[in-house]
Amino acid sequence: MSTTALTPPEAARWADRAGLPLPADRHTDVAAVANHIHSVIAVLRELDFGDTPPAAAYRVGEEKHDATV
Amino acid sequence: MRPFELSLAAAADAIQARELSPVDLVDSVLDRIEQVEPHLDAYVTVTADQARRAAREAEDAIATGHPHGPLHGVPMGLKDLIDVAGVATTASSLVRADHRAEADSAVAARLRAAGAVLVGKTHTHEFAYGLTTPQTSNAWDRGRVAGGSSGGSAVAVASGAATFALGTDSGGSIRVPAALNGVVGLKPTYGLVPRHGVTSLSWSLDHVGPITRTVEDAALVLSVLAGHDPRDPASLPAPVGDYRPGRDTELAGLRVGVPRNYYFEHVDPEVEAAVRRAIDRLADLGARLVEVEIPMTRYVQATQWALMAPEASAYHERTLRTIPDRYQADVRILLEAAELVPAGDYLRAQRARTLMRQEWARMLDEVDVIAAPTVPATAVPADQETVTWPDGTVEGVADLYVRLSAPANITGVPSLSVPVGHDSAGLPIGMQLLGRPFGEATILRVGHAYELTEPARALAPVV
Repeated sequence: MSTTALTPPEAARWADRAGLPLPADRHTDVAAVANHIHSVIAVLRELDFGDTPPAAAYRVGEEKHDATV
Repeated sequence: MRPFELSLAAAADAIQARELSPVDLVDSVLDRIEQVEPHLDAYVTVTADQARRAAREAEDAIATGHPHGPLHGVPMGLKDLIDVAGVATTASSLVRADHRAEADSAVAARLRAAGAVLVGKTHTHEFAYGLTTPQTSNAWDRGRVAGGSSGGSAVAVASGAATFALGTDSGGSIRVPAALNGVVGLKPTYGLVPRHGVTSLSWSLDHVGPITRTVEDAALVLSVLAGHDPRDPASLPAPVGDYRPGRDTELAGLRVGVPRNYYFEHVDPEVEAAVRRAIDRLADLGARLVEVEIPMTRYVQATQWALMAPEASAYHERTLRTIPDRYQADVRILLEAAELVPAGDYLRAQRARTLMRQEWARMLDEVDVIAAPTVPATAVPADQETVTWPDGTVEGVADLYVRLSAPANITGVPSLSVPVGHDSAGLPIGMQLLGRPFGEATILRVGHAYELTEPARALAPVV
């Protein structure tokens, strides 16, 4: 387990802070899956985003449409 | 040929020529559903009475000189995430046990206006959050996964239990089951087909599109589905029209990108061989093959997960707190665990998507389409959870099936899965053709040209 992995009690506390109180019998499984998701997505921290904006207001192909205006 | 065996285009031509009545076609498909459903479980609900009524109305309208176009009187299945007025949208979940849609979704309304006849709502992996659709069996081998999440739609079309169907696709959920069941699946450009009235898995990744027997059929359905709807905030006022490809198989001048990385890594040798044969066929038709380097592949899975998981948990926020026991175990644990993803990680994924979209746009300046396997392996046995590659790498089945399809969801580019043969076990293999944003006409043209060089495909041999 990595040093950043959540223990079951930590996962329960994080879930509680997110407004999702978890029954005790789910702490271990939720911690395991949360740690797996974290291990998958943490690789994005390698990227230097500079001024790159998020694509939340996302329009595919927008750049090209704009370029022809 | 019996009516349920007809492609959409063939059925439409027969109806237009008054050689086939919509009533006979719908009856034939309903009979086929009765025959195959005990083996396949593709449908949540079969709307037989309404379908027969709609078929009679279609027959009357056509007889009195009021045809609505090629979909008029043609039976279809809709994935059970798609609202149809007066019918439950169960999302194949107990969470929706008491649901009843009050109005048609945008796509159901367009199909209704085009005269298509709903024969039923098809199974999805619960709330589209999975790649197998465990309720449903693969049309070619009942012991294997249907693929997902639009497994019911793909199996219905492959088995003759619907002439066409709609699916949704947030990481491959149209193309994966299409490939695993030997039918055509089209994930359109993000924003081309409105999602109003369609249950979301992940707003920034969700797409709606057709699952059909042929590429030409997919083009006919897309022609009805595409177009702006302000009720979907992602819907774009892009130009739409008739996507039906011509009879010309000439591909001279077309540049087909063949990935030198990612898409052929950790791919079953039989899948790779079939897809490379199909790519060679495109070259025989005049296309020029150009090697391309797929950008930022290291970040595909991370971006897909960091977008999809928190968005799905947000969509289910209320019911996860009030009726969590009604979710299937695999979906509930993902929804719970993704509540713990920090906003910073979600924003990194949105920024990574910006970079990936820019890099893909640069790559797609060099080629007109990219050809690749849809999925790295054919349908696995239903109880199999992982695949082990020759180098010892172990991959979960969901990760396996989403791996090659996710880039088109992240970048929003259109992707068409076309059957390109079977492996030695008789299981279907799919090739995907990826295009530029709003390049549907091009990928449909290429897919159709390929299909015209192949013998017509038979239905899955269910019974």
